[in-house]
Amino acid sequence: MDIVKIENLVKRYGSTVALDHLDLNVKEGEIFGLLGPNGSGKTTAINCMLALLKFDRGSIQIMGEEMAPDHYKIKSQIGIVMQNVAVFEELNVQDNIDYFCGLYIKDRKQRRDLVEDAVRFVGLEEYRRFYPKKLSGGLLRRLNIACGIAHKPKLIILDEPTVAVDPQSRNRILEGICELNRQGSTIIYTSHYMEEVEQICTKIAIMDHGRSIAVGTKEELKGMIKTGETVTIDAVALGEEDLEKIRKLPHVFDLAYQDQTLTVRCTRTSNNLIQILNCLQEKEIPFGRVFSELPTLNDVFLEITGKQLRD
Amino acid sequence: MIHLIKYSVLTKIRNFNVIFWSLIFPLVLTTLMYLSIGRMEEDGFETIPVALVAEEEAESDPFLTFLESVEQDAGLVMTEEMSRDAAEEELKNGEIKGIFCIGDTPSLFVGGSGLPESILQMILESYIQGEQTLSDIRELHPEKLGDAVRKMNEYDEATEQVSLGGRTTNGNAQFFYALIGMASLYGCFLGFQSSLDMQANLTALAARRCASPVNRMKTILSETAVSFGLHFVNMMILLGYMKYILRLDFSGSYLAMLPVLLVGSITGVTMGMFITSIGRMGEGSKAGIMVGVSMTFSFLAGLMNGEMKNLIDRHAPVVNRLNPAALISDALYCMNVFDAPARYREDMLILSAICVLLAAGTFLVIRRERYGSI
Repeated sequence: MDIVKIENLVKRYGSTVALDHLDLNVKEGEIFGLLGPNGSGKTTAINCMLALLKFDRGSIQIMGEEMAPDHYKIKSQIGIVMQNVAVFEELNVQDNIDYFCGLYIKDRKQRRDLVEDAVRFVGLEEYRRFYPKKLSGGLLRRLNIACGIAHKPKLIILDEPTVAVDPQSRNRILEGICELNRQGSTIIYTSHYMEEVEQICTKIAIMDHGRSIAVGTKEELKGMIKTGETVTIDAVALGEEDLEKIRKLPHVFDLAYQDQTLTVRCTRTSNNLIQILNCLQEKEIPFGRVFSELPTLNDVFLEITGKQLRD
Repeated sequence: MIHLIKYSVLTKIRNFNVIFWSLIFPLVLTTLMYLSIGRMEEDGFETIPVALVAEEEAESDPFLTFLESVEQDAGLVMTEEMSRDAAEEELKNGEIKGIFCIGDTPSLFVGGSGLPESILQMILESYIQGEQTLSDIRELHPEKLGDAVRKMNEYDEATEQVSLGGRTTNGNAQFFYALIGMASLYGCFLGFQSSLDMQANLTALAARRCASPVNRMKTILSETAVSFGLHFVNMMILLGYMKYILRLDFSGSYLAMLPVLLVGSITGVTMGMFITSIGRMGEGSKAGIMVGVSMTFSFLAGLMNGEMKNLIDRHAPVVNRLNPAALISDALYCMNVFDAPARYREDMLILSAICVLLAAGTFLVIRRERYGSI
């Protein structure tokens, strides 16, 4: 069942097209990643889904029903974790979670238990009475997440929840998201960190200029591109003739040499690395560190758009 | 709804900016104004140094007896006997304000014109007017002369300045009424915070609240009611401070001032909500506009200069009829001083109309649930 279905969504800010005929389908139980550089339309798409933003064309269905600002039944089943920390500075950790949980859950006793669960889930037991001002960036992000998930929603939307977070807190957050998914929530996760998306998402949509340029599992996405392996070698003083010889090796389709680093992209076959090293050895070219990498989502993005994901 | 109200109260009373501007600042300003007006009054009654020059032996001169009494009982003057030359030298140097010459007909020499000189003249005139009576008493009942002089010297006001409504006027009260007007308008900071917390295009927090399944009207009603209520409490604290701590006497009933404070509080809060909800300026700019508007209204209502309100009343009365701070101050004045119920009602009516207009404008903006951009 599609828990979110977006069809032909268009959103313009004056002459700028923020969402350009966007189509997305998120199935129940997925961790759906929206991957794209800053300004690609991820947050705009989320705000449209939440019925916070007007859009020019298209439709958004959530849990089978057309989303509208006054569709409180649907809203009650959504949890939102904003890109910017959205908590009250004047309330402590416990009260912040209680406040946001209380917007969804009327029953006090039930809410008390849910708040307790959320505090434990994000590991803020020792910080219950702390005010946001006293929390570190990582703890603040965890509070931000707790406020969005305390009511145990069916659909959780996390908009770049790990921005400016230390690696330890980041891992904890990512593990938490997987745990929420195991507990039955469908997750929509936006990020411009491809490693995170690759690590936790079961399905990924790559966005650029307000369009979804590729959708699938990470394996499917990587299968869509020509790159099967990227070989990087530190080599000194390669001449044009040497580069030409490497370029002519079977399965090599792209080559770059910059700052004494040779980057060779090959199609999906085996023994690419051996062939390149043999070639260097034959010409008696000294080389240093050698890396061989399987394609990443950045390669997918690079091949489809012609630019790096982090550009 | 109770959940929303509870947390709305907590977040507002714990927000230093909100509490500072809507409560602490008016209290501090009231205290400063009270101290400065108190000092002005004290300065006005400084003892006047004056010389006594006796033409001849004057120990039993009734004017001397009279002056001793003025010095001891009223504390208005501080006399010192000296020679004419010495007195003239001191008068020239400004060390004394005048010279009383004691003789058959007492006389006064002053070195300038002003309040001290006027008081000295008044003392002399008082004596001359009662001289014949004192002379008669000295002849008929010399033992009663002291009492007679003392009685003559009692400066009880023979006249009392009263308003048309029969209430005593107090020139300083208008400053405090203007200050109450300013404090009412400073409720705009509560409205400002409410508006920020409700509009998804202003803060991430508001966006999170808008994405929740809480009916929009409930959010608006709870936020507005809490802001009104809290600011009304702020205003009652201010009034209580004026009454019980500073012991200001407004001559009217404090209880009767509450309706004005209530409407004033609503005006301040709705003004803040309105300014915050319109335009796409940053928080700082909107706060700046609010302070600017409130202070301008208060200035025009006579907060810094008591004559300002009268000046505007004479030359551009419509400004005062549209200025909420002037209307609040005027309503309090009408009630406590003029006893002019018709004008009071008119003030309250205009204030209520302003509230309704601001609230309607605000509501049209903040009731939105979807925004063009966030």
